[in-house]
Amino acid sequence: MGIRLGIVKALHAVLSARGHGGSFPGYVGLKLDKHFLERFIMPEQVIVVTGTNGKTTTANLIAESLRASGKTVINNHRGDNLNIGIASTLAAGSDLSYRIQADAVVLEVDELTVYRQFRTLQPTVLVINNFFRDQLDRAGEIETIIRRLIEVTEDFEGDLILNGDDPNVLRIADYAKKARIHIFSVGENSTSNQFDEAKEGTFCPRCGRPLRYLYQQYSHIGRFVCDTDGYGTIEPVVFVDSIDYDKGTFTSAGKEYRSFINAIYAVYNCAAVLTVMKALGIDPECADRVFRTYRLNEGRNEVFRLTAPCTVNLIKNPTGANEVLKEIMAHEEEKNICIILNDNDVDGTDVSWIWDCHFEHLRDSAVHEIICSGTRAYDIALRLKYDGFEDKLVIKENPKDAADYLNEAGMESWLMSTYSALHSTRAILKKMEKR
Amino acid sequence: MELKILWLFDNLMDLYGDRGNIQVLKERCARRGIDCTVDTYRLGDDKKCSDYDIVFMGGGADHEQNLLYEDLLGLKDDIAYSFGKGTQYLLICGGYQLFGQYYLDQDGIRLDGLGLYDYYTEATTDRNNRCIGNIAVEVTIDGESFKAVGFENHGGQTRNVASPLGRTLSGHGNTADSGYEGFVTDNVIGTYMHGPLLPKNPRIADILIKRALRRKYGTDELAPLDDTLENKARNAMLKRLGVQPDG
Repeated sequence: MGIRLGIVKALHAVLSARGHGGSFPGYVGLKLDKHFLERFIMPEQVIVVTGTNGKTTTANLIAESLRASGKTVINNHRGDNLNIGIASTLAAGSDLSYRIQADAVVLEVDELTVYRQFRTLQPTVLVINNFFRDQLDRAGEIETIIRRLIEVTEDFEGDLILNGDDPNVLRIADYAKKARIHIFSVGENSTSNQFDEAKEGTFCPRCGRPLRYLYQQYSHIGRFVCDTDGYGTIEPVVFVDSIDYDKGTFTSAGKEYRSFINAIYAVYNCAAVLTVMKALGIDPECADRVFRTYRLNEGRNEVFRLTAPCTVNLIKNPTGANEVLKEIMAHEEEKNICIILNDNDVDGTDVSWIWDCHFEHLRDSAVHEIICSGTRAYDIALRLKYDGFEDKLVIKENPKDAADYLNEAGMESWLMSTYSALHSTRAILKKMEKR
Repeated sequence: MELKILWLFDNLMDLYGDRGNIQVLKERCARRGIDCTVDTYRLGDDKKCSDYDIVFMGGGADHEQNLLYEDLLGLKDDIAYSFGKGTQYLLICGGYQLFGQYYLDQDGIRLDGLGLYDYYTEATTDRNNRCIGNIAVEVTIDGESFKAVGFENHGGQTRNVASPLGRTLSGHGNTADSGYEGFVTDNVIGTYMHGPLLPKNPRIADILIKRALRRKYGTDELAPLDDTLENKARNAMLKRLGVQPDG
């Protein structure tokens, strides 16, 4: 009965051999058979990771940690997290009777569509990282995302791994009465309470009164409590009690771990992974080995050797962009900045989020010039003009011209790009490296 | 010269970068040597709109609008009084809706508005059926006519608008198919245009500043600013929407 699956698998094999991974086989599978996803016979463990930021990294860390413990795993490691990407991943990892050939499946799933695939995928573990503003024009409002997740998790009987420091995420725990809930949290550290950032969800979802923060990590993430009804009182199963940014380590339950990148959001990703390990009864040592050696995905602090180093980061919403800006701020050398702002569907067609980013962080950090690029180059330029960078702006609408400009300047640079320009720009930078 | 701005519920009605409007007003005043102070009004504060020259309120999610609703009703008498004093209002999306008769949300729950104007808003019942996308509008205000761009994202359909801000050239506006966008009186500019509104539409920013100066100092002379970047950003969007930019 696997003729259609056979076609999809053959497509995948041919395309992979020619260096095209991608979602096309999944697209064909879903075109040939609208019940394609439902046919797969899932293994014992199906781990779904969703949320706004850090999905790809967290899912990959979980997959690698499971592998380190001796399990076989299939996962959508490149972040193809919509229906067709998931279909491609499953097709490539199954036999001709749709049986997944692994001990576990780890899937990153888009937070806006996860409610549709949830029951089909039959997850045994659901990890929810955080909910920030991201591409709101696709869903309307963040409230819709949360409501839909509440609906699909109400009768979920598996392990539910929640970020206890995100008031938007913790709401799920109030409704998921059948799930085994495991909460992670990160303690106050030297970067807590550094910035007053746009917070969303800082009101108690139960009673509507303002939440009180004992400390704030970034955006609305932090230790919060409602003094009226106790919302936010948590008993985390994994708690990070200290972070040493000089050593790039953190401790939890008396054990020291190395963070794969020295930043607060990465510690949260690690905490999520450790919570999955605990829920599945796997030695956290397996995760630690992965944390020590894990290399970030493409476009996550990826350095290209142009005439001077160029560090590339994906940006897609204020919270993630602000974390990148803080990182840039920590580097004192004179530098060029390049921002490629596109507004294609995958980027989010509403670019107003750039007005919620803290570009003023760049004011004190020896910025030589800021190159504005992409389909909305003038929008990002205008944004920066109103943050006091008028004299430093260079507009190169075509990303290729922007990359050439960076290379010819011969100065260290930081490039931030929205999703749809990321892969083509990386290819351009890679070519420049070889010269 | 000095202008005082009050930003209503900055921590609740803060969706879609509407804060950018405040940044633009401040900067365009500063470049002309006009002192500009911005105060925020949050739940339970006792500041009065009538003490200010310009009052701004942005859009928020339904959830947030429910939180501030009762507090806002308490401001109604002072707002009505401030109209006589000439206070100028810039209201985006949710802020715009709440100055009308009522807002009926997608669950059928009715929130009475301030009732200062006759228009009313009813949400589409299908959450997936929102008015979302780039929008171009032929704005007519204070004897000037020009093209403006923005990004709309609203389920609410606003009807019975006596004096729209402009004619929709591309996109939706007050309702999915009314052909008109926003609301304007001598005191109020209400609109669904996020983007935010003012960076790419500096003429609207300057009209607000002029209106405020006129009633406070009897003059509306504003030194011209270099808006090359602003105009390029707006015209790029107009062209994409198939609308001829202003000459």
